[in-house]
Amino acid sequence: MRRNTPLITLLTGAALGIVLLIASMLSTPSKAPAGYSAAATPSPASSAAPQPSPASATATPSPASPSATAPAVVTAPAKADYAGRVQGDGASIAISIHDGRAIAYVCNGSSIEAWYKGTAVNGVLIMTGKNHAHLSAIYDFGKVTGDVLAHGTDYSFAVGVVNQPSGLYQATALVRGATIKAGWIVLPNNTKVGALEPDADSPAPSATRAPDLDVATGTAQDGDVVLHATLVSGATGSGF
Amino acid sequence: MTAQPDLSAPLPPQRTAPAVGKLVVPCLIGALVALTLGIYGRLHNPTGVAVNIAGFSSPGSVKSWLATGATVFAIVQVISALVMYGKVPRVTAPNWIGGLHRWSGRIAFLLAVPVAVHCLYALGFQHYSTRVLIHSLAGCAFFGAFTVKMLILPKKGLPGWVLPVVGAVVFTVLVVVWFTSAYWFFSTFGIKR
Repeated sequence: MRRNTPLITLLTGAALGIVLLIASMLSTPSKAPAGYSAAATPSPASSAAPQPSPASATATPSPASPSATAPAVVTAPAKADYAGRVQGDGASIAISIHDGRAIAYVCNGSSIEAWYKGTAVNGVLIMTGKNHAHLSAIYDFGKVTGDVLAHGTDYSFAVGVVNQPSGLYQATALVRGATIKAGWIVLPNNTKVGALEPDADSPAPSATRAPDLDVATGTAQDGDVVLHATLVSGATGSGF
Repeated sequence: MTAQPDLSAPLPPQRTAPAVGKLVVPCLIGALVALTLGIYGRLHNPTGVAVNIAGFSSPGSVKSWLATGATVFAIVQVISALVMYGKVPRVTAPNWIGGLHRWSGRIAFLLAVPVAVHCLYALGFQHYSTRVLIHSLAGCAFFGAFTVKMLILPKKGLPGWVLPVVGAVVFTVLVVVWFTSAYWFFSTFGIKR
């Protein structure tokens, strides 16, 4: 009797794991473009849905109940644009999501900036950029929350949805053999945070403060060059 | 009957060799568990979603709190083990210490299971940053190490160092798992429900 208790512990844990796995599998296929269901957002539907709780972990939760009583809650949009300041105000971030793909830009208005590309699937955003830059976040209809590494600096962020003309603008131009690439994040209060990479094809591009962007015309004057910026919009798919 | 070696009469080598041999099968099974979890996490296409607990702001916070709970019970494990082995000065082991050790361990394990299911099903084995890679490896290793611990517990005649060493490995790996996930989560997003 005593000799077997560790094995019982092990088998109980394995059974719990299998039950939760089956419950997860049953609750997933019913949603096509789903996000984090249930507890992802404090929506009334999800908070009311009974879920296996840790207190009842030893009692076997019914595998059928989560799928039956917690219908799939679509909590992640297929198209969205987010922008705002990162925690600590050190930089700004803009993220656009369009049908599973995502583009993001982090910028402190001068030398720290990076572009990211990646996937946005089921409320989970995983993106990478040049020079080991990467971004991971979760998103829903209201906000995106995560952390991002740019130029060796780690930022946490939780920023909300924005609408045109706020959002992310990008301009590229070929000047004297080099590709220059500028990015601007236009925040909801019309603050513009931008930087310009004089040699964007470099594996580790450096950047300086970008010239001011005229949002109305979408142009910026960089010395003798006029940059034409386009809005990177998840809502319309422009810039993707 | 304890598994402590009889120090007054040194064991002849032919008695220790088969005793250590008893570790082979549990270690192989533990390795198989860790590998199975890792391979599943790598091959399964992460869904980003799994069953969850209502009342928390995100799956990340649910998991962070469950993992923190498991780690707290794991600390109880270490302390109660030290008391049982008489390693705490001027503290004699009360008769309930064995029960405390067993139940804190069971609770810690059962708290960790839902976290692991969510990790493996919703997120998968990932390696896009050092933290995530270490977490993925340690997470799989934890359940392998715990399996080894459970399988060797009932075995008699093991050298006295085996259980403390395996227990220490399980604890250390769990702390690594917690540090690379819940600690990161709370320090990144703040301590929230």
